[in-house]
Amino acid sequence: MSPTRLYRTILIALPLLHFLLHVGFGIGRGAPDLLAVGLLLLARELRMGPAAGVGFVLGLLEDSFSLLAFGANTLTCTLLGIVGSRSRELFVGETLLFLISYLFFGTWLRSVLHWVLAGEEVRRDAGVTLLVHAPVDAAYAAGVGVALLLATGAWRRDPSS
Amino acid sequence: MPPFEPEPFEPRRRGDLVVTLFFLLLAGVLIVLPPEVQEQVAGGLRATVLSPFLLLQESLIETRVRVSEVSELQRRLDAATAALAAQSTLRQENTHLRRLLELRDRAGPGFRSASVLRPGLRGSESMFLLDVGSRDGVAVNDPVVSDGGLVGVIREVGRGTSVAMDWTHPDFRVSVMTLDGEAFGLIEPRQGAFREEDRLLLNGVPYYTSLERGTAVVTSGQGSVYPRGILVGTVDELAETEAGWRRGYWIVPAVRPAAVSHVLVMTEAERSEEHPLEELWLDSLPTAPEGPETLQEIEVLPGEGRVPEVDPDAHGPAGGPGDEDPIAAGEDPTLPDGDWEMEP
Repeated sequence: MSPTRLYRTILIALPLLHFLLHVGFGIGRGAPDLLAVGLLLLARELRMGPAAGVGFVLGLLEDSFSLLAFGANTLTCTLLGIVGSRSRELFVGETLLFLISYLFFGTWLRSVLHWVLAGEEVRRDAGVTLLVHAPVDAAYAAGVGVALLLATGAWRRDPSS
Repeated sequence: MPPFEPEPFEPRRRGDLVVTLFFLLLAGVLIVLPPEVQEQVAGGLRATVLSPFLLLQESLIETRVRVSEVSELQRRLDAATAALAAQSTLRQENTHLRRLLELRDRAGPGFRSASVLRPGLRGSESMFLLDVGSRDGVAVNDPVVSDGGLVGVIREVGRGTSVAMDWTHPDFRVSVMTLDGEAFGLIEPRQGAFREEDRLLLNGVPYYTSLERGTAVVTSGQGSVYPRGILVGTVDELAETEAGWRRGYWIVPAVRPAAVSHVLVMTEAERSEEHPLEELWLDSLPTAPEGPETLQEIEVLPGEGRVPEVDPDAHGPAGGPGDEDPIAAGEDPTLPDGDWEMEP
């Protein structure tokens, strides 16, 4: 099933929106992690190589503001792109429930990977970061991502959902 | 039974795997690149692909400043007093800007005022961008201050922008002293569970020097980065001790980086001036605690080991020549019984 034009537009717009909110408007943590949402959805539409490439580019862009752990976002997003692309072969994923779960666990995975790759000096307490901040951020990103897809009508894959 | 044949490996799939491995390898290489190269890559991206986003934030901040200036005029005209009353953030920013301007007037032309841009992305927590650069005379390692005190230091400089790290960065270190110059030490950040809990630790204070809560701590001028006299914070409480060797104190930072929107960059021209910087932050400094002198001095008499010479008119009843040496007895000389309060 090929994605609709609107769906593709939304997928490309999500990372742009991420940088607009975080960097342009300077909202910071108040804005959801739409980069992860966009990458996760885009990766499912691509083969593994291009998905890794997209993850690499998006992660590198985010790393350009990282003095603390340069490269951690790049590697994280590259891995996330690969996982997202491979997930197509494991899960069919036509339901809304899958979309929510996929975005939630994908964004959570991103936090975990970044925490692991960021280096010992930069890491904060594992319990608070991975079990408090990360799930809340993941739920927020997944919620906003799904709402955005539904509101724009981009997600119309399963008529029953 | 047909013979087992391995699944044919499609050339396209192999190519895909090669591309994937290439990007993974490239991402891994980025992490281990030298910091200078990493900074060049990051700076290049900020100056090109991400510059529209940065320009947008810069223009938003400028707009906010203009709005605050207009609001100030309106406040003076008394026409919009009621409207402004509800906009406490704007008033706060006005007050902040006025104090910053006053500081700049007092400080001299070597200070460059700048607006703070925060990317707000993962991994950029301890850094911020400034809208001043080499064309404004800003250079790497220039201290960044606000009306409250020390904020951080410049790490990278572009033509019109620069990147700075604040005191929450794990690499941040500054040599400090108390205002009276009696105690010296090194300040480093300590991460809390939450970013709001980050605080500063004053390390390396001599064991027999006790600091009162509220004592102001300023940069000592040792090293080539921070000139003497920039307010860093005030002493909060004793953090740790190494018996007979040194003490560590928690420091309440003079500035919370998250609350800073405008700063001053102290350029080389300013640092070469020799006027006392601590006067710039005199208004921010807490008043000295009242009561008897707390700084203790242990005078070692030649040939008598660690026997303190004590004035009989000192604050405590003890201290006679026949008294037992509490240090040798393993007691803490700063215990509140006052036995070790001595005249300097």
